[in-house]
Amino acid sequence: MPSFKTPFNGSAVKFSPYYETRLAVGTAQNFGIVGNGAVHVLDLTPGAAIAQVVAFNTNDGVYDVAFAEDNDNLLVAAVADGSVKLWDVARPPSANPIVSLQEHTQEVQAVDYNPVRKDSFLTASWDDTVKLWTIDRPASIRTFKEHTYCVYSAVWNPRHADVFASVSGDVTVRIWDVREPQSTMVFPAHEMEILSCDWNKYDDCMVATASVDRSIKVWDVRSFRVPVAVLNGHGFPVKKIKFSPHQRNMILSCSYDMTVCMWNYQIEDALVWRYDHHTEFAVGIDMNPFVEGLIASCGWDELVYVWQHGTDPRAF
Amino acid sequence: MATGSNPPPKPWEQAGASSSGPAPFKPSSPGSTSGVVEASGTAKPGEIVSSANRPDTVSAADRSVVNRNAFGRNIPSRPWESNYGNSYGGVGYNSGLNYQTGYGSGSGTGMGMYGSYGSYGSYGNGLGGAYGGGGYGSNMYRGGYGMYGGGGMYGGGGMYNGMGGPMGGPGMGGPYADGDPNNPYGPPSPPGFWMSFLRVMSGVVDFFGRISVLIEQNTHAFHMLMSALLQLFDRSGMLYGELARFVLRLLGIRTRSRKAQPPIPGGPPGHPDQMLIEGPPQQQKLIEGPKAGWDNVWGEGGSKAQ
Repeated sequence: MPSFKTPFNGSAVKFSPYYETRLAVGTAQNFGIVGNGAVHVLDLTPGAAIAQVVAFNTNDGVYDVAFAEDNDNLLVAAVADGSVKLWDVARPPSANPIVSLQEHTQEVQAVDYNPVRKDSFLTASWDDTVKLWTIDRPASIRTFKEHTYCVYSAVWNPRHADVFASVSGDVTVRIWDVREPQSTMVFPAHEMEILSCDWNKYDDCMVATASVDRSIKVWDVRSFRVPVAVLNGHGFPVKKIKFSPHQRNMILSCSYDMTVCMWNYQIEDALVWRYDHHTEFAVGIDMNPFVEGLIASCGWDELVYVWQHGTDPRAF
Repeated sequence: MATGSNPPPKPWEQAGASSSGPAPFKPSSPGSTSGVVEASGTAKPGEIVSSANRPDTVSAADRSVVNRNAFGRNIPSRPWESNYGNSYGGVGYNSGLNYQTGYGSGSGTGMGMYGSYGSYGSYGNGLGGAYGGGGYGSNMYRGGYGMYGGGGMYGGGGMYNGMGGPMGGPGMGGPYADGDPNNPYGPPSPPGFWMSFLRVMSGVVDFFGRISVLIEQNTHAFHMLMSALLQLFDRSGMLYGELARFVLRLLGIRTRSRKAQPPIPGGPPGHPDQMLIEGPPQQQKLIEGPKAGWDNVWGEGGSKAQ
């Protein structure tokens, strides 16, 4: 399957909820330490290659991207200068970004578009807060500030329009309801910083967390004293995780050990597959919601891979 | 900003309701997100949370000492709050925030990264004699001498196996974390008397340690040379013997032995060459002489004499 070389180091990759062949990649120069960034919108072509549709440049690294769920051309990017930028793929680069929202006081680490109500998105930032935005407002609607350290991820529950989870360097997971003034649940999930979380698409009480302690844990929010499963196998901190959109028991993860792993958390030998195609930290993954088993990954080696689960990503 | 059509349904939406039992969440409210949040009374549009009004905010120095969150974990100082000026070290790998913690550095002492280069303890050992155990010595030189010590090649038989230990050297760095260019805790305070004294002592010990290493290596080289020469000479005896025997057998001795050795009457059967190898002709005669005599006393010789 094909690969695509970006000028900067990759930081995130997402498939479009509208088109099975489209994906967006966020990149940052110099590993995101200092420098510019870019958002690339890519298309898988019938000739099994990846073609760039458009690229947008930013003055600071792009840490995360998310496609809008109510507009097939709209793209949200989390930028390291604390801004949240919206891009319209249909417009020329000179007319972009269409909006730049500047409220976070530190780097914005993650963005997630509400997949149920489809009119709002969350941003998680190093200023310890999570912000809720809607397309129709020029400012954030609400700020969630209970974490005591950088928030690395905030993810909507795929079955509840008002519920989301956030994870932070303060080693806690917090479950929020946007109608409640405080978080509805909070539990320490790992010994070290938690970098990523995701909800099970087929079980709205199941959330998985990935941590610097190199483990992935799956939790049932109704009884969070003991994890449902602990997945060990990564040799370095786990950067991102993602539940499969097609199978309830499959989890995809990527790590600073440069590998992308597929897990089945319901069986004893949970590690199903390990891909070591990246030659630098693997920091972005996604699974195509239309084609079962189609995986995308990006890493600090400036390469974006798209491949079918079970095949060699480098085989072309 | 035109709102397009909704995307195709997600796979999990087609699959129907979640099946793992009742969820602890309130049912979703109808309406838009902004309407729902505003109706709940929790909306706070455009709130900007700066580091100044964060509830837990203390200075970076205090944070590393006292600040704890609800679960008793020390909150590390944030990368951008470090008073270390360089933006590379300060911001550090953006997600490198994660990265940094993941590799276990950035601990309170600032020694994490270089801690392996010998510790204060190993320095103490160095003063006690034998310069033991610093990471410097044990890694580099012990491995190096292990190669010599294997010994199979030279037949040394482990003569040098023990040499790694004393070669340790006093260890580099030690407790002086302020020499670390990546130390994020700012410039060091001037060292106290004992600190500078110990540093001078460390330099002295380091100096003599290096000299001793040089001497040690020269000694070893010399020893290797001598033992190799000795073994060569040792083997050379046999070598020259074989060579001489070969030459003699080929040329000189065969012809000369035929001339030199008269046939011994009544001697034991055997080839003249064989007798030559057994010993010099005189000795042969000396031994064989009485033997022939004894034989003559009791054997056929006796009957001949009669």
